[in-house]
Amino acid sequence: MFLHYLDLSWRSLKRTPLVSFLMVLAIAIGIGITMTSLSVYHMMSMDPIPAKSKQLFMVQLETMDEGEGWWTSDNMPKQLTFQDSENLQLAAQAPKQAAMVKTGFAVHLNNPDFKPLLQPTRATGRDFFSMFNVPFLYGSVWSEEADITGDSLVVIGESLNQQLFGGGNNIGKTLYLDDEMYTIVGIIKTWSLASKFYDLNNGAFRETEQVYIPFAQVRLKELESWGNNNGWKHEDIQTAKDKLNSEILWLQFWVELPDQQSVEQYQAFLNNYIQEQKKVGRFKRDNPRVVIRNVNQWLQYNEVVSEDNKILVGLSFMFLAVCLANILGLLLAKFLRRAPEVGVRRALGASKNQVFAQHLVEVLVLGLLGGVCGILVAQLGLMGIRHSGSGYEALAVMNLKMYLSAPLISMTACVLAGLYPAWLVCRTNPAIYLKSQ
Amino acid sequence: MTEIKPIFSSLLRSRAGAVLLIVQIALTLAIVSNAAFMINDRIAYLNQPTGYEEADIFKFNVTTFGKNIDLVQQFELDEAAIRAIPGVVNAVMTNQVPISGSGDSTGFALKPRSEPAPSVRSSYFMGDEHFSDALGVKIIAGRDFNRDDVIMSNNYSKLPTVALVSKQFAEDMFADKSGLGEVIYYGDNPLTVIGILDHMTGPWLSDSKPNNVVVFPFAIGQTIRKFIVRTEPGMRDEVMSKIEDLMLSLESQRVITDLTGLDEKKADYVAQDRLMMNMLVMLSVILIVVTALGIFGLTLFNISKRTKQIGTRRALGAKKSDIINYFLLENGLISCIGLVVGAVFAILLGKQLMTLYSLPQLNTWFVIVTALFILTMSLLAVYAPAKRAANISPSIATRSV
Repeated sequence: MFLHYLDLSWRSLKRTPLVSFLMVLAIAIGIGITMTSLSVYHMMSMDPIPAKSKQLFMVQLETMDEGEGWWTSDNMPKQLTFQDSENLQLAAQAPKQAAMVKTGFAVHLNNPDFKPLLQPTRATGRDFFSMFNVPFLYGSVWSEEADITGDSLVVIGESLNQQLFGGGNNIGKTLYLDDEMYTIVGIIKTWSLASKFYDLNNGAFRETEQVYIPFAQVRLKELESWGNNNGWKHEDIQTAKDKLNSEILWLQFWVELPDQQSVEQYQAFLNNYIQEQKKVGRFKRDNPRVVIRNVNQWLQYNEVVSEDNKILVGLSFMFLAVCLANILGLLLAKFLRRAPEVGVRRALGASKNQVFAQHLVEVLVLGLLGGVCGILVAQLGLMGIRHSGSGYEALAVMNLKMYLSAPLISMTACVLAGLYPAWLVCRTNPAIYLKSQ
Repeated sequence: MTEIKPIFSSLLRSRAGAVLLIVQIALTLAIVSNAAFMINDRIAYLNQPTGYEEADIFKFNVTTFGKNIDLVQQFELDEAAIRAIPGVVNAVMTNQVPISGSGDSTGFALKPRSEPAPSVRSSYFMGDEHFSDALGVKIIAGRDFNRDDVIMSNNYSKLPTVALVSKQFAEDMFADKSGLGEVIYYGDNPLTVIGILDHMTGPWLSDSKPNNVVVFPFAIGQTIRKFIVRTEPGMRDEVMSKIEDLMLSLESQRVITDLTGLDEKKADYVAQDRLMMNMLVMLSVILIVVTALGIFGLTLFNISKRTKQIGTRRALGAKKSDIINYFLLENGLISCIGLVVGAVFAILLGKQLMTLYSLPQLNTWFVIVTALFILTMSLLAVYAPAKRAANISPSIATRSV
């Protein structure tokens, strides 16, 4: 029966090509525009590490004095001081933890033929790689011992390996970061994230780093931050050592807590830590807060999905509604004009339900056609976004979910628009039309 | 006008079509007027004057990794070498670049930190006596830095004691006074304002105070520094092509990156706002076209349904213009209802957007102008089919009866 209805729908569409074309066009444009903004929204808001997003937590400590606010929604600073990052890393109270900061070097081979490359670098603990499921191509991360001693060991990315050595297993070779020699212990595979959730300070959609060194190097080599440095009080900082001992907020700290019990334990540890620091004269608040947020909470807190994008998604769904009102009008006209024919079919024994079902199948076909054409329109829109230089290149794409959503949204919308006309037409009283035939 | 009654009764008989048009027009008005308001907001933002000849200025970063280089001295040599390139007006080594989206800011107060006083947040630049000329910003009061004001160092042990401030900063900090000769505090360090700079923008266009700028006469040699160069009109590309080789020939233990024109820097910075604006424009244009097509299609359908009725009216002596007027009036009536509903909806939507997002309150004029525009569009969309209806021959009425 369904195939028969499909056949009837196809004939009906062919019978009124102009109206059909207009309807498909209206749906295609509506869906196209909606899918364009929805795809970007979807990519922006995608869980960057679905397997572990509920177990990874970013730590925030309320280090500022009483009366000092912050510009975040809950007045909590987004980064940590060096003292706290180092203390928490060394305390090792979570199953896995990683203090981290973005820095950078001129990477070269101490060879005049090779022009140095400026590379953002992440100084972090060895747990970073297992916490964030970073895949290794060759070798592995530095040892636990190196985490503490801060040996000059480095993990590099596949593309830097390509640039430096033309690819291949180069474990054990050396390279220079500025003017110091480092030994390569690991090479990681190209590792891309939907959003760079672990450090959102410098653009949430930047690529992951190609150079990783032990966190202890921050103190040893007095490394500078390539990210934000935020102070809340005036401190006389002249040397790198002053900065390490200051209250300037410039590092991130992540922990992996596999279950509720470890979450509670870790929170208790942090509360305890903050009280102990209070005793040595820091944290001058009555009740300094401790907040930990998992990956998705952290993304939301940092408003990774831009306001503009949310507005666009809303407006494009309203746009889709206009297109549907348009289609509804056309469907009404089209279906009612067919009332005489329906009258005959009803008189010949077709039930109301059958007539209703047949018309719904017809709108479903319309929706499918419109959805598929809508994907084409969306591709045009996304192409435009990719060429706008707005840094959305990697985001303005449709993934499988979006390809499937397009016809689904389209068919749902068309059925909603088609219900009333189909209901009207199936109520046709056969007698009236038989009389006038 | 006598036709209003029959129009009403015919509308009431085919309510569904009219209601759909009303919904369409109302939604269109709500979306387009809000979009137009946001577009206008973005245009104002994108076109705000920065105070620079952006097409003649470029910047680049220098990251020095050689540890035995006297950075202060090296940067002096670099600056001099750049100034010697034909076509260069002036060049300066500084800590940050205007409208680039990254830089330093702090609060300045009229009293030292120990005494509570209101402070004004401002971005701050560091540069030598070439700073204002390298950016092409005029001193409108007081004087520029001279060589003796400039502190050349690779640490912060000695701090400058004078500063230049932008016009906007002077207004914010000193209210009714000019600010010249006044003292501002950076923490506990006093700085005497020796000159006022004309309008200029700091690193962040989207800042709440984008044009607050303070400049210290400070040439600090650090491993990561930026250079700003202004060239004679039309000479920029030529000068830019020479920079990397020149800089590396002067000292090879460093990397030159981000050699970019100031206009490109700004374009990068505002790219997402421009994208949003373009998308809103596209959305609005397509929406109006779709709505106009909808009106066009529905009128065509109405006419084909009423062919006999129109023929009869014509046979009874109605002029062609009467028929056209009838459809224009019918559509005008529907549009007006749609626009009134839409206006209410537009304002509600604007309120919603204002509470949810950082948007200013929708200006009612945008609703009124958009409504007039949609009304015109809808009458235009009706006119062609109505004219066709007017050409229906009166004989139609008699043919099938």
